[in-house]
Amino acid sequence: MGSKTYLIYFLIYKNLQLKYKHSMLGFVWSFLHPLFYLLVFNFVFSKAFSNIPHYSLFILSALIFWVYFSGSCSQLSLTFIRNSHLIKSLNVRKLLYPLSEQGTELVSFLAGFLLFIFLMIYLGMPINLNLLYIIPIIILFSAFTFSVGLLLGSLNVFFRDIGILWNTLNPALFYLSPIAYSLDIIPQQYLFYFKLNPLYHFFFIIRNVLYEGIAPSPIQSIYCVIITVVSFLLAILVYRKTRNGFISNL
Amino acid sequence: MKELAIELKDVSVSYLHNKRGIYSIKDFILKGGLFSPFEHKKVLNDINLKIYKGESLGIVGRNGEGKSTLLRTIAGIIIPDKGTCKVSIEISPLLALGAGLELELTGLENIKIYMALSGRYDKNTIKDLIDKVSEFSELSMEQLKMPVKMYSTGMLARLAFSTVMTTQPELLMIDEVLAVGDKGFQEKCKKRIHQVKDAGATVIFVSHNPEEVKEVCERGICLKNGHIICDSTSYDAIKEYNNLFI
Repeated sequence: MGSKTYLIYFLIYKNLQLKYKHSMLGFVWSFLHPLFYLLVFNFVFSKAFSNIPHYSLFILSALIFWVYFSGSCSQLSLTFIRNSHLIKSLNVRKLLYPLSEQGTELVSFLAGFLLFIFLMIYLGMPINLNLLYIIPIIILFSAFTFSVGLLLGSLNVFFRDIGILWNTLNPALFYLSPIAYSLDIIPQQYLFYFKLNPLYHFFFIIRNVLYEGIAPSPIQSIYCVIITVVSFLLAILVYRKTRNGFISNL
Repeated sequence: MKELAIELKDVSVSYLHNKRGIYSIKDFILKGGLFSPFEHKKVLNDINLKIYKGESLGIVGRNGEGKSTLLRTIAGIIIPDKGTCKVSIEISPLLALGAGLELELTGLENIKIYMALSGRYDKNTIKDLIDKVSEFSELSMEQLKMPVKMYSTGMLARLAFSTVMTTQPELLMIDEVLAVGDKGFQEKCKKRIHQVKDAGATVIFVSHNPEEVKEVCERGICLKNGHIICDSTSYDAIKEYNNLFI
């Protein structure tokens, strides 16, 4: 292994250590956290949405990706601030810090996801070859999450309330995304606005695969690719514009 | 003919400084920060400096006159707004108090991360290296297995110094680490610095202790307001530095 590979490995290891340092259950939390949400939603909404078959699976398929998204974004928004002591003393590409942070989140997401596969099978997930589509979807979704996180992280260095603002808006975004409900209940005139939410398109193709057991809709997949590319370019642009000012503001 | 190691040409560095203390969006709107909330505060002003291979340079100056910024510019951590900074030798990590240490992790983990970050991690030699660090820093294996947050300031300095110094760096930059070690360790460090110097390394040394600067360095510069006001032997630079306080 080269020195660079070691570096990313160590940074991920470091992040995991810091994340689960004083917790007894450690990794298991990446399973328990979404599970807890699932139980609450099942309890609260299952009567209201009795028309949706396999309602638990319906929630769970989008919920685990939501937890991955929001967790990554809040970690990445702090990544430069948390590593300020390294940024100030070592000449290392600063992009490595958010990259390793995303890697850390991906590792704990995958660990939880593997456990959830069993639960989803139990909840009625169709098993067929279409399931393999979830792999490129996870990669695409990770790239999108990374972009949003990098954007937040870069701006957060200059205005610390970006991070606070994000955490405030987080629940709103959660309820505005079709996680615990389907868009059928949304009145026609508001539908357009709901579709502006990038997460809607991701959850659409995720549900295609995990809930319906079909190949992801081509048109929605193209939307997702476009969303990812645009947000990635935007994030890199903002990062490049701001990175030289990091040191004076950390 | 002496070989050039570092060359700074007309280097100016300024920090983006937050005008009127605008650190949140609330301030941003209330204090009318919409019109350029940041201003540039010059820290280094047209610095011209040539450092040759094998030279030992002491930097003195009052607090906040740009010594650390100069080191960071040479290390490539800060990109100058104007001018060029050419470094033709391998840079080792900046040695400053508590720099690069992750408080929650153990000493051992910190050594590994530090090595990986400075691009020197090697699976085969890491064990050897840890032994060397342990020996030089006089920290026992037991102490190295403790989280760094439980270390005293002196122990932190020992760990940081030993980690960098057990390898043979081409360029050594020291930013006031010796000050916190005890007498015995200070002597040991100075001895090691001389060893590294004799092996051909270039040394840049920042300190507020005139005796130390004279002892370690032949050449000295004195900084004031981001300008080099004296570039001569370390004796003369110290004299200039002492004059600042009269």
